[in-house]
Amino acid sequence: MTLTHLNQRGEAHMVDVADKPESRREASASGYIQMKPETLALLSEGGLPKGDVLATARIAGIQAAKRTHELIPLCHALALSKVSIEFRLDEAESRVEVNAACRLNGRTGVEMEALTAVSVACLTLYDMCKAVDKDMEIGGIHLDTKTGGKSGDYRRDMTSHRDMTAAPAPIVTGEGVAGQVSVGTRCDIEDPCLRVKFLAELREQLGTSELSLPLDSLASADVGGLKAALVQQDKRFARLSEGRVLCAVNQVMALDTTPITNEDEIAFFPPVTGG
Amino acid sequence: MVQAAKIQVRQETFDAGVEQRLLLAGRSDIGAVVSFTGLVRDFNEHPDVTALTLEHYPGMTESALGEIVTEAEARWPLQGVRVIHRVGRMTPGDPIVLVVVASAHRRAAFEACDFIMDYLKTRAPFWKKEHSVSGDYWVAERDSDHQDASRWESDDDSSL
Repeated sequence: MTLTHLNQRGEAHMVDVADKPESRREASASGYIQMKPETLALLSEGGLPKGDVLATARIAGIQAAKRTHELIPLCHALALSKVSIEFRLDEAESRVEVNAACRLNGRTGVEMEALTAVSVACLTLYDMCKAVDKDMEIGGIHLDTKTGGKSGDYRRDMTSHRDMTAAPAPIVTGEGVAGQVSVGTRCDIEDPCLRVKFLAELREQLGTSELSLPLDSLASADVGGLKAALVQQDKRFARLSEGRVLCAVNQVMALDTTPITNEDEIAFFPPVTGG
Repeated sequence: MVQAAKIQVRQETFDAGVEQRLLLAGRSDIGAVVSFTGLVRDFNEHPDVTALTLEHYPGMTESALGEIVTEAEARWPLQGVRVIHRVGRMTPGDPIVLVVVASAHRRAAFEACDFIMDYLKTRAPFWKKEHSVSGDYWVAERDSDHQDASRWESDDDSSL
């Protein structure tokens, strides 16, 4: 293991990424800002003097992600395709949890962008609330997941960091179920692709949690076409057309005739059993 | 931005009393509050259930719950709603889900709470895996849950 930002003489240098292949890169990070319960109540009611705190912090986080290269010396300027910032008000812990996700098709990872977004969103929350609470504390800023690129996928081991809270809303699976690794080939940027997920019992039956395939491998650009293309790849996917298997395109319930386009996220899952 | 706290999907447990007090804090226009808590049972499809693991589809879960709450608010005059659904591993006796509904009058609060639970059970992407002394298995959907949910689909045809 070596530090890529140091050259052979130990001096800082920017990594030349011109020859790296482009691929879809994603990263998510989270952290929190601890505050007094009264401050959190004011924040959720919109009663703070500087106005809509969360909306402002969200914009700040997005802007920060886009300008990471101006803050971190050896970071490349990246054309991010997506930055999202989520807040969760945790009354039990009296804190706001901040989660940031960044994505791009490119040659370098986006974890610094996600971490910067979380940090600046937390700082903005501090700025927006400091008139009523100067004891606020920012903490637990860490990378949750990173996908794409040569170094492979990373997912923070939640069990060994239980005490650090700030859960990144994982897909929770049963014990001993290897359901969290991504399998199948990741598409390069030349052929943008569909991302297909299999959830719960279906994931265990298929032995696959996620795969991606190019849209042009489908006979028809809809859910039915995707099922047919998957069956062609492997017979076990015939299960997708057996019994009650539900489908969502970009997290909205879909039918076989629902059209799909590149970059869509398609999920197959069994009937729901929550509550 | 009160929306952010209205719906929560989380691993940590909750205290129904605390949540209800938070919902009512500083309000004098609420005349009725109905709260439902769902718990892990030690028997279900198999006897001797020792634990339960709840999986969900992050992102879609929150938006599905949001749509259910929005529909409830369109059907009844509600003055406050809070939905908490836990994910991860739980043991018998643990609370899984909380729905608190506040309104000026009791009928709206009772019905909206009932409605939210019926729709949550049939539309929100959660899946239960039960761990029992005789092994692990995924819980199957129940027809009765769909019948319960269909009670709310009357003449004004709701979209599914």
